[in-house]
Amino acid sequence: MPVFKTPFNGYSVRFSPFHESQLAVATAQNFGILGNGRVHILQVNPNGPISELAAFDTADGIYDVCWSEAHDSLVIAASGDGSVKLYDLSLPPTNNPIRSFKEHTREVHSVDYNMVRKDSFLSASWDDTVKLWTVDRNASVRTFKEHAYCVYSAAWNPRHADIFASASGDCTTRIWDVREPGSTMILPAHEFEILTCDWNKYDDCIIATASVDKSIKVWDVRNYRVPIAVLNGHGYAVRKVRFSPHRASAMVSCSYDMTVCMWDYMVEDALIGRYDHHTEFAVGVDMSVLVEGLLASTGWDELVYVWQHGMDPRAA
Amino acid sequence: MAMRDLVTGAPSCGEPSSSSNPLGALANALIGSSSKTQERLKEIPTSVSTSSNGNFLAGVEEPLATLPGSEFEHPLQPNIQGSQFLQGFRSADQNRLADAWDEIQRPQLPFAHGSQNMTNIPLEHARLQPDLNGPPQQVLSSFLHSFVNSSHGGVPFRPASLPLLGLSEGDKQCIRDRSSIMARHFFADKSEDFINGQVNALLSSLEIDSHARARGPVPGRYPELEEYWNESLAMKPALHVADGWINEFSQNRVGHADPNSWVQSFEQQHGANGWASEFEHEQSQLGMIGQMRGANIPNLAAMEQTRMLAHTLAQNSDPKFQLSRGPQGWVNEFSAEREQHGSVNNDWVNEFSKLNVNDDWADEFGRQVAEGAFGETSADGWAEAYDEYMNEQAALRQQSDASRGVYVFSDLNPYVGHPNPLKEGQELFRKGLLSEAVLALEAEVLKNPENAEGWRLLGIAHAENDDDQQAIAAMMRAQEADPANLEVLLSLGVSHTNELEQQAALKYLYSWLRHHPKYGSIAPQDQPVSFYHADVARLFTDASQMAPDDADVHIVLGVLYNLSREYDKAIESFKTALKLKPRDYSLWNKLGATQANSVQSADAILAYQQALDIKPNYVRAWANMGISYANQGMYEDSIRYYVRALAMNPKADNAWQYLRISLSCASRNDMLEACDARNLDVLQKEFPL
Repeated sequence: MPVFKTPFNGYSVRFSPFHESQLAVATAQNFGILGNGRVHILQVNPNGPISELAAFDTADGIYDVCWSEAHDSLVIAASGDGSVKLYDLSLPPTNNPIRSFKEHTREVHSVDYNMVRKDSFLSASWDDTVKLWTVDRNASVRTFKEHAYCVYSAAWNPRHADIFASASGDCTTRIWDVREPGSTMILPAHEFEILTCDWNKYDDCIIATASVDKSIKVWDVRNYRVPIAVLNGHGYAVRKVRFSPHRASAMVSCSYDMTVCMWDYMVEDALIGRYDHHTEFAVGVDMSVLVEGLLASTGWDELVYVWQHGMDPRAA
Repeated sequence: MAMRDLVTGAPSCGEPSSSSNPLGALANALIGSSSKTQERLKEIPTSVSTSSNGNFLAGVEEPLATLPGSEFEHPLQPNIQGSQFLQGFRSADQNRLADAWDEIQRPQLPFAHGSQNMTNIPLEHARLQPDLNGPPQQVLSSFLHSFVNSSHGGVPFRPASLPLLGLSEGDKQCIRDRSSIMARHFFADKSEDFINGQVNALLSSLEIDSHARARGPVPGRYPELEEYWNESLAMKPALHVADGWINEFSQNRVGHADPNSWVQSFEQQHGANGWASEFEHEQSQLGMIGQMRGANIPNLAAMEQTRMLAHTLAQNSDPKFQLSRGPQGWVNEFSAEREQHGSVNNDWVNEFSKLNVNDDWADEFGRQVAEGAFGETSADGWAEAYDEYMNEQAALRQQSDASRGVYVFSDLNPYVGHPNPLKEGQELFRKGLLSEAVLALEAEVLKNPENAEGWRLLGIAHAENDDDQQAIAAMMRAQEADPANLEVLLSLGVSHTNELEQQAALKYLYSWLRHHPKYGSIAPQDQPVSFYHADVARLFTDASQMAPDDADVHIVLGVLYNLSREYDKAIESFKTALKLKPRDYSLWNKLGATQANSVQSADAILAYQQALDIKPNYVRAWANMGISYANQGMYEDSIRYYVRALAMNPKADNAWQYLRISLSCASRNDMLEACDARNLDVLQKEFPL
């Protein structure tokens, strides 16, 4: 299975929704504490090594990256200096980034593109706010300010164009409707910081949250008081969780315990796969929408792995 | 010598709170006197096992208990909300204890941690000693690297004096802020002090001031709620505070410079929006009262959420919002029927409201308000009543758990003394006169307590009459009398599913398989200690393949899938069974209930209709019809169905509750009194079918 070595510590990976072999990787120097950053666009060649299509250097670390759902060459990057940068792969590196939206006052930790209406994207920042943007406007369309601490992640609902969820260090996950100024629901999901959240791609009311307390909880927003499932098994904080686009109850998670785990929360022994290929914190993971079972992960060991579920990521 | 000393050892025994002394850990957790132990109780359990069965099962069972209507015979029992509500209270405490216990069972041995993780790190990465020579970039790099790695080793990071790195102020701030945020993530196991210590070590080595460090996570989880908590603790008169809260909440939003300020629309809608605003009003007041009595924070959060959702709902009918969406907004789209025809669909809303309003509580409150309880001694009076109610409910639940098998006989039974009450009971049952049949059968079992058939029929009669409690009690007696009776076992499985008791349900359904002459061989000989849904489902699927024409197996499968909320599979199973047994009215009812639970209320009504065509006196089906109409927001209709069900069985407590809710939803508060007084005559006159 192919591996790619990045010069900086990996932070996030995302498969392209248009090209099944393309992958975007966000990296930051010195673990994102201080230094530069780089966005890599990689090409996964079947039965071959991973090659780099493009790379963009930035002044500060990049914490997250996402693809536009409307244009196959647009990539959005979340930067540690509070800016959200827009890159166009069809233009030469000298013309990039084509935009840099600078409104957040602290690090931007996550970006997510709306997959229903495909016209807007969110940025979640350590300045406690989530902002809504469109590609053509220079200023944010909305700011959602309610969390009491860093917002680590914002995720659009895959079926409802206006709904999204945010996960924050104030131990709550909030569900928002972009048409409302305030959050619609507060889910006090964990007793510790919540680092990530993601919606189920098949059931629009199911959301998973994962926290510093090493657990992943799956909730039904109609019955927020008790989780549907609590998935334990990681040895350290869970950094990212992603629902599978192909199997309704499957999800993948990566954690500071250096493993990437696959879960099925409808089964009583929910852990259905564990990959410990990383030698440092596993920080980013994604499942491909176009190729069933294709996973990618990256970590602070500066490696990007792309592999098929069920196979060994380190196999040649 | 005090117990504590014995257990933790006198000072000479070394650090008492060190985790290598499990008894010490136990003492700390239980007695918890020193501040260090307080912290430990807050620490996260270190679970390194891949499948923590206890936790997971707990996660699976609890939600089954709080599913809005997993009973296929009996969707959406509001009185179950009482227990959900209580579970909200109890589980908060249980978690704490669970954490402490977990800790005791797996004491934190830093060495074990370290050695376990160290093996993962190839040697060249175990750079605990940073490379201090070399260009500043590299030095910084390796230094930060060792900081991060210290989390693996569990060994505290040591400050080191570094050569001048030439960091700018901005750089320093960056390092300071980010490292403290990140440290909280990877040192989450450790105490606050440890984290601060680590970060300080890092910062001092880099010569960065730490006093102006970035804020940490907020101590209280719900700052907005803390505020109200504090406010309410200052005993202001009840109503006043409730209004205050609403106003404050509204004011917070005004600053949004949105010309279509929803604050205004909220005030406009407040009166005109029927149940949403009424509900919200109730909730906000309830929320406030809850706080005054020191209710649990999770409860507050729940109420806050409900309140906020109610707010949203109140907005949805605002024409301004119709520009972007259909009339009902996203809340209603949160239902399975969304993709079809964008139908006006209140299911989600109703489901949600049914979930969160503890109806008895709301009733109590409504009563109090009606009695002018919000007068002088309002707050205290209500609060006491609330307390009483809670204790009552808690007692009731304990009682009901303990006395599950206790059947309650009716008084003044005219059939006692008859020569053959069983025969009469069977005849009455066949005719559909359920309440009479119950009396006759009771007479029978009073005469012959070991008559399994009598008890079984009694159980069925109660179930059809919509009384699961009595049904279970009767069925348990039947099972005692005849442990291998398949119908009894099936019936018990069904009733327990209705009562949202997964383990019990699985146990009975499994027994059904074991005792079945044909399928007994599939089930393993020794009974498992606890039942996994997937296992039982698998067994039944095998059975169904063995004998595809056996309707019963499909019925059980349908029940099982209801338990796991796989409604589509359940519907399929029931439909298969119905092909084999089209005249089984209770099967139609099951199908309908499953459809209702998976929010296909229109289909459900058709199924119930089929059931009623076969058995016109089927009280349960009438009540279920009412529920399905209510789910679609057709409250007027639902009322009629409830009344019809109650006319046939005035003892169906659940139906009375549903009726009450529908009455308020339909804004027929004039009839609430009649409902409370259980005055069927008035209700029947007012709401004929």
